[in-house]
Amino acid sequence: MPRPVAKTITFTIDGREVQAPENQMLVDAAKHGDVEIPVFCYEPKLGNPVGACRMCLVEVEGIPKLQTGCSTPVKDGMVVNTQSERVKEAQRAVVEFLLINHPLDCPVCDKGGECPLQDITFGWGPGISRFVEPKRHFVKPLELSSKIAIDRERCILCYRCVRFSQEISEDHQLVLLERGAHSYVSTFDGHPYEAPFSGNIVELCPVGALTSRPYRFRARPWDVEDAGSVCTLCPSQCNVMLTVRDERVLRVQARENPEVDDGWLCDRGRFAYPESAADRITEPLLRDGGELRPVSWERALEEAATRLARAGGRTGALAGGGASNEEGLALARLMREALHSPHLDSRPAGRLELESHRALAAAALQAQVPDLEFAHAVLVLDCDPIADAPILDLRLRKGVRRHGMKLVRASRDQLLDETRRGELIETLLADLRSVAGEEVVILWHERLAAGDDGERAVQVLLELAATLGLSETDGAGLLEVPAHANGRGLREAGVLPNAGPDLGEIDEEGLDAPGIARAFEQGELSCLYLLGVDPPSAGAGTIIAHASHLSDALREQADVVFPAEAYPEKEGEITHPDGRVQRVRRGVRHVGQTRDELWVLEDLMGRIGAMVPA
Amino acid sequence: MSATAPRGWDVPADLEKDPATIPDPATTPVPEELRREIEAHMALYPDTRSAALPALAAAQRVHGWCSPEAIEQAACVMGVTPAELDAVVTFYDMLETEPVGRTSVYVCTNISCSLRGADALYDAMREAAGEDAAFNVRAFECLGACDIAPMASVDGVYVGPLTTDDVPRLLEDIRAGRDVMPEKQLARRPVADPNASSREFPRHAAEDGAR
Amino acid sequence: MSKRLLFEDIDEPGLNTLAVYERRGGYESLRKALRMSPEDVLKNLEASGLRGRGGAGFAMGKKVSFLPKGSIEKYLVCNADESEPGTFKDRELMQKTPHMLIEGLIIASYAAGASRSFIYIRGEYVLQADVLDTALAEARAAGYVGERILGSEHSLSLLVHRGAGAYICGEETGLLDSLEGKRGNPRLKPPFPANQGLYQGPTLINNVETLSTVPSIIRMGGEEYAQLGTEQSTGTKLVSVSGHVRRPGNYEIELGISSREIIYGLAGGPDEGREVKCWFPGGSSSPVLTAADLDVPYDFESMAKAGSMLGSGAIIVVDDSTPILDVALKTAKFYRHESCGKCTPCREGTNWTVKMLERIDRGEATPMDLEIMASVQEHIIGHCLCVLGDAMAMPIGSMIAKFKGEFEAHIERRRMESQTLPAEAVA
Repeated sequence: MPRPVAKTITFTIDGREVQAPENQMLVDAAKHGDVEIPVFCYEPKLGNPVGACRMCLVEVEGIPKLQTGCSTPVKDGMVVNTQSERVKEAQRAVVEFLLINHPLDCPVCDKGGECPLQDITFGWGPGISRFVEPKRHFVKPLELSSKIAIDRERCILCYRCVRFSQEISEDHQLVLLERGAHSYVSTFDGHPYEAPFSGNIVELCPVGALTSRPYRFRARPWDVEDAGSVCTLCPSQCNVMLTVRDERVLRVQARENPEVDDGWLCDRGRFAYPESAADRITEPLLRDGGELRPVSWERALEEAATRLARAGGRTGALAGGGASNEEGLALARLMREALHSPHLDSRPAGRLELESHRALAAAALQAQVPDLEFAHAVLVLDCDPIADAPILDLRLRKGVRRHGMKLVRASRDQLLDETRRGELIETLLADLRSVAGEEVVILWHERLAAGDDGERAVQVLLELAATLGLSETDGAGLLEVPAHANGRGLREAGVLPNAGPDLGEIDEEGLDAPGIARAFEQGELSCLYLLGVDPPSAGAGTIIAHASHLSDALREQADVVFPAEAYPEKEGEITHPDGRVQRVRRGVRHVGQTRDELWVLEDLMGRIGAMVPA
Repeated sequence: MSATAPRGWDVPADLEKDPATIPDPATTPVPEELRREIEAHMALYPDTRSAALPALAAAQRVHGWCSPEAIEQAACVMGVTPAELDAVVTFYDMLETEPVGRTSVYVCTNISCSLRGADALYDAMREAAGEDAAFNVRAFECLGACDIAPMASVDGVYVGPLTTDDVPRLLEDIRAGRDVMPEKQLARRPVADPNASSREFPRHAAEDGAR
Repeated sequence: MSKRLLFEDIDEPGLNTLAVYERRGGYESLRKALRMSPEDVLKNLEASGLRGRGGAGFAMGKKVSFLPKGSIEKYLVCNADESEPGTFKDRELMQKTPHMLIEGLIIASYAAGASRSFIYIRGEYVLQADVLDTALAEARAAGYVGERILGSEHSLSLLVHRGAGAYICGEETGLLDSLEGKRGNPRLKPPFPANQGLYQGPTLINNVETLSTVPSIIRMGGEEYAQLGTEQSTGTKLVSVSGHVRRPGNYEIELGISSREIIYGLAGGPDEGREVKCWFPGGSSSPVLTAADLDVPYDFESMAKAGSMLGSGAIIVVDDSTPILDVALKTAKFYRHESCGKCTPCREGTNWTVKMLERIDRGEATPMDLEIMASVQEHIIGHCLCVLGDAMAMPIGSMIAKFKGEFEAHIERRRMESQTLPAEAVA
């Protein structure tokens, strides 16, 4: 469906002419003229404005009453005043009202220093309060969930958190109870607020009412530095802002990218990394006397190079996780050029014909994340967004809720069965007719292409795409969720058994992921090189792995383990499932003796090159 | 009414509990009659969610108040989270958030009634009802019957004007299951306007009989 | 004797039944309307000058004309959440002549092109809701409500929806949220209900009395109806008179008669030996007037000119036996209790005002508190999401302005009293 297009208009704010997109809300339009209108409840990510906090009252010429800037769309020729005495008095009044029951316990509040209420009180408040009655007091802080604490004294009832629960994540667990001055944010009957995206409410809270329990009292804003990066814990590749203190990541927050994550994070992305900072592998390990023991880099590299060189063409390599494009390219070169082994893969689903890969990669068939929101219909095929790429779940909900997108789910069986496929197409076409639309996006998971039927499933998928005219329709297309966070980047880097970089032809085709696992188990491959994945099978050969944590499988099977970088330590590029290349930037130093994994790959290549005459 | 802090303000979440998602029909028994009543209400609206108030009123009739169990049952039938309905329950004065007596006696204490002695009436009613579980005596905002001020609503039956002397009789009528103070019921009161019902009509015999 | 339209037959026995209502000419206006085009019905409504009887006084015909034309599904919602303190006129209509409301509602839906309608009645009105349900069943059976009404092209569904006790649901967008099964929080406007109302569809919302007047307008013709009352406040109006008067109750008056005529002539005025101290002319949310204003004509524009409003047409009379502080405290406490809590000035301002009034009552205030209280009212007025905040701040503000001396004397007296208490009583 048509994306919003705004024409530029000119309006006057505080005596100056400013250009802004037509119908942008005044609080946003004002920014084009460097005018700040204070807000609490306004958060465009949450949908339509609610006008609850009344902080953004401004004067609009021709309208007798003050207007809320958050809900007044700017028009050409509009004359707005944010500096009149009338406006200032109204803004001071709202701050005074908000502080009536606010405890002003900033010195012991986690939000202190990064608190909109503090900032707005300082910038727009009256500076004094005339309220002399006793303030209300609640027990505080209370647990709202295992991750979030709630301080009801500080709450200014801006509605952001409950709107998130109702209208964004749609878990409907967090609500306002009671009414009037007695209103409070709560769950039902003392149940915890546990939902896949619950942590977003901490970031949304404009005061210190909702705080992150893991982050509580860990740092003040002036103790920390922000470092922007990209989360590589799943293919969503959400843009994140790392809160770093003393080279440690204490907190992960959203770094809004409307094209990728819409400014949200899942709880895994938000809470998992800082928690998993413990138990990291911080130095190279070598199996010695049946156990993995720390060794020097030199020893580990030499040992690995020796074993790889010895295995040569009988080496298999698997890559995944957050391995970067550069690492993928290096791995492909290590395998193909140094070891002359064609056995490498990054797709657990296994081999697809090169022609299929290319057909799926056709430019006209590519859909992007925002297309999920604006398409008339989305077919979610053999994919469970909440598990496979959580942030896409929010995007789909947004499409349904705000744009009336039709959501259809189907399994692989349904796709492969001709009758049921016919019904599926009928449903889709009926949905399209009901909204007089034609744009369909098919969101499918790599697992659709797994197994013996995989190739056929992809062919059927391509036929379906042709039937629905996805290539010819703007805003329509296919979007594959790969099994690994950078699955698309690794594939395009040539970490495939049958294609080189950019799906180019290669001389010799190798084994795919399942084939490598089988061959290693049967002894046909004598060495396995693992970049960001666990051993797929048991085997007598050598296993060389990059890992940040020691899984049981690695502990039992690996021979050489290089400490892997966690994404906050990593530098490199990754490719989003929809094709955009994103930069992962280093936010903290390597833990312990961890080194660039790209360097490891290149070092190994050098050593092997010296050992094996080309 | 408004002086005491609502339940829940000072209560942390119990981390041992599961999150309160939409109740599973398999593990949430709902009395059959209640289920049918709620479903009937849901069928009346273009959006079933509109049935929240009638559904909760029905659940309250069954359980005596909107207990967590009552809310869960209504949520189960409606396919919503209990929190969504709890938000509704705590917003409306007629939905009870604590166990209450069987017969509700709302004494209007808003301005028109209070000008005519409602506060004393309410005190007398509270005192006379005491802790008797037969009664749920509440001071209520304007019940829309200032013409019979001060007044009370007994399970929806409006009576007034009342004096403190009427209180024992009123409570006795409730206890005895009698029609409450019929002579003071609003239902039987003609309009005050002296010039109303001024139109002359030939009267049917049947209507005369009805009179 | 002035004209009665709504109360013409009000106490006829059995008027709540279809048989008696029809015998009194009931549903003839509907037949007449259905013979006209919807546009002509709308023209009559516009010509009648009928202004909404719920409180805002917006021209009803104009409100209907705001609805988009065309075949999209439109809703008509009757606001029967009569909750403004002092108001009880809709109750009398619904209880005694429910078919008049139903008939008016069907005609309005025809003019508006609405095919689904609801009567949102406050939950406390149990009897009235039961009466409406019974009447509605009769109307359905007789073919007045349902598919192709009386053989016309017009179809209408109608449902009586019972509230559960929240004043704010009388606010039209709070009512819509409540009808959708949510908390009755008012919505930000725009969008106005005429464009995005119930279930996001175009919605016309009218008060019970407004809709009940529609059959009379169709019967008389809009222009003849407009002859009643004053030029800008046409027609008759039900007035609920309560408080310190000898004959509290509902009276149908022609707009524009003197307020004294209503308070003294009809309702009998305060008891012997008592004088009118102040009166709310349009429910407890209207700024109070004093004895000096008794000769102001009772119509929309005169009340506005006098600094108050006609509101829902509910006159509450307070005589000179009552301290103004008691009136203020009752009023403020009510609005604090009923504030939905969504917007800041109302939620916090009503709460703060009550606390200040209570402190005055405890003898812990100074005259400066009166100034602060007046300023708080000014900070509420015009700054809220809906009119509830104003509904407290306007009357409280008017009381402070008009009875400043009494407030100050009260503060002083209570202070003296609390200071002269024996030490152990203070401890």
